[in-house]
Amino acid sequence: MIETITPDVCGSRKRQAWALLFFALGALVASACVGALLGLAGSRVAAWALPVAALLALVGAAREGGLARVPLPQSRRQVPEPWRFKLPLPAWAAGYGAGLGLGFLTYQPVATFWVACAAAVALGRPLAGAVCFAAYGAGRSLLLLLPLRRGSEATAIVEALSGRRGGVLRVNAVALLACAALLAAPSAAAEPIPLGPGSHFDPSTIGPAFAYTQRNLGVSSVIVLPSAGGALQYPDAESPSLDGELLAYQYAAGIRIVRWATGEEVGRVDGVTSKPALDWPWLAYRRALPDRTLLELRDLTTGEVRRLGSVPVGADLGRPSIAAGRVAWHAAGSRGSRILLYQIGSGNKQVVMATTIALLSNPSLSSTRILWIKQRQGISTAFVRKLRRTRARVLARVSSQRTFYWTTDLYGLTAYVTRWTVVGGAARILRIEL
Amino acid sequence: MTRRSFLGRLGATVLGAVGGGAVAAAVAPEEAEAFHFCGHIFTTDSCPSPYRLPRINRAGYPLRPRDGRPIDNLGRLVNGSGYPINEAGARLIGPDGRPLPKGPRTRICQDWVAERFHIDARIQGSWYRCCNNQIRKLVDCCSRSRRRINGDAALRGYCYAPRNVFCVMYYDTGIPC
Repeated sequence: MIETITPDVCGSRKRQAWALLFFALGALVASACVGALLGLAGSRVAAWALPVAALLALVGAAREGGLARVPLPQSRRQVPEPWRFKLPLPAWAAGYGAGLGLGFLTYQPVATFWVACAAAVALGRPLAGAVCFAAYGAGRSLLLLLPLRRGSEATAIVEALSGRRGGVLRVNAVALLACAALLAAPSAAAEPIPLGPGSHFDPSTIGPAFAYTQRNLGVSSVIVLPSAGGALQYPDAESPSLDGELLAYQYAAGIRIVRWATGEEVGRVDGVTSKPALDWPWLAYRRALPDRTLLELRDLTTGEVRRLGSVPVGADLGRPSIAAGRVAWHAAGSRGSRILLYQIGSGNKQVVMATTIALLSNPSLSSTRILWIKQRQGISTAFVRKLRRTRARVLARVSSQRTFYWTTDLYGLTAYVTRWTVVGGAARILRIEL
Repeated sequence: MTRRSFLGRLGATVLGAVGGGAVAAAVAPEEAEAFHFCGHIFTTDSCPSPYRLPRINRAGYPLRPRDGRPIDNLGRLVNGSGYPINEAGARLIGPDGRPLPKGPRTRICQDWVAERFHIDARIQGSWYRCCNNQIRKLVDCCSRSRRRINGDAALRGYCYAPRNVFCVMYYDTGIPC
């Protein structure tokens, strides 16, 4: 095939340049599509795909390192030669590029391509898959483009590579080992944040500080960890929500808003109120009445109060989250659960997602994304998606009848998820990079 | 000889011939749960449920297969009001020290199957077998889908036309047999 794209076959150097351009386009588009489709398929598989892909990478490394003899799935077809005579130059050149860019239609001398396929499925990110696989198409194209600059022929490069097969195999073995390590690494990224004794939950973060509820020996307190160092403790308090220099938290008589650095009180909401979410001047919180639970939104500067939601006693109205002019919360009961979103500016309320069979809970918002927990059949999953999109991505998953995910927070590209165990009740906060 | 015991003995004979007595013992008729569940061997698969075995109550809500105690969709034991409880019957406590709120508890066929497979599903046909010394009612979850939960062609079973069996569940009646 390489001999095909020459001035003699194409008719002139100008036509050769066009053929190379179309070849590169075909290879790039085809390989990017393969990566995107694998990532799309992977977004529907379980989290165990990551360790499986890491294992495949190890097996591939062992194969290329000469430690194991593992056959590869192979298609030894070549690009169809008749295209060159029947089709116009842009079509056959792009077709040849696409045929090679797809990867699985032609011979693969090493296992790396197949491991990359498994990794793309395991990561489950179509865009990342497309970008990574486009590099494969680019590599195929460079093999034709580089000799032009050097004044040599592509066949010479191929023959040189064949002569250094041992080195090529070693490079692939090292790359596959690195791939295995990277594929195994995400589980470490979801490890609990070391926060000391007791249970830790209700994470809330902003740039200069991180806050959470600490429960130790049956007593709850709010801890604020400034990024500058040190720790501030608010005893007999829980459910913190940070907004700049302000902290809202729940205490025995209602909700207090203070400057977290000094403890100076800025405002309070009395009554049977709980689970505050602060984005000054707006404060969303839950209010319990004898027969209902309400979700209210208060303008702390004017005193205006809006009722966002209401459920009867027995149903759950979850911890709200507020960011960029939106409020998100969950409503759940024995008949199903919903995640709702309220636009403060327009007053529009919408159901983001609803189900009759799963428990959707504890959403959190950033300016562009929403994160939530879905529980069903002993599987607890943290999902995240962009607000303008509909497709969600699995962020973390735990399969157990005893371990669940709980409250969450989202700040920029960092997610915080509480994981707790029913037996013993210990809760830990996980930090996960998106 | 019932169909179940016949198939069990046939399977045991075949496996015994190729794999020895240890393997044959694994498929004795009394241990037919290994195939699917007692009263139902290797045909239409179970409906999705909190546990592997789709045990339901009379109204189609999920029960824990082991002891028939009511569970919610997350597989947690629940009390009469639907609140999650522990084995001793006390309300489950969340990490904040407060009792956990109710989770969804919905019908396996009409709600679970309908939402997960986007089909209109309902309980229609049923038949009975003797399992663990009590009468077990085996229940067809019927839909208009031409495919059953296994992915292959659905059969009419005990469903009314034009519905076919999509998946199966069971209800232990408690009546001795």
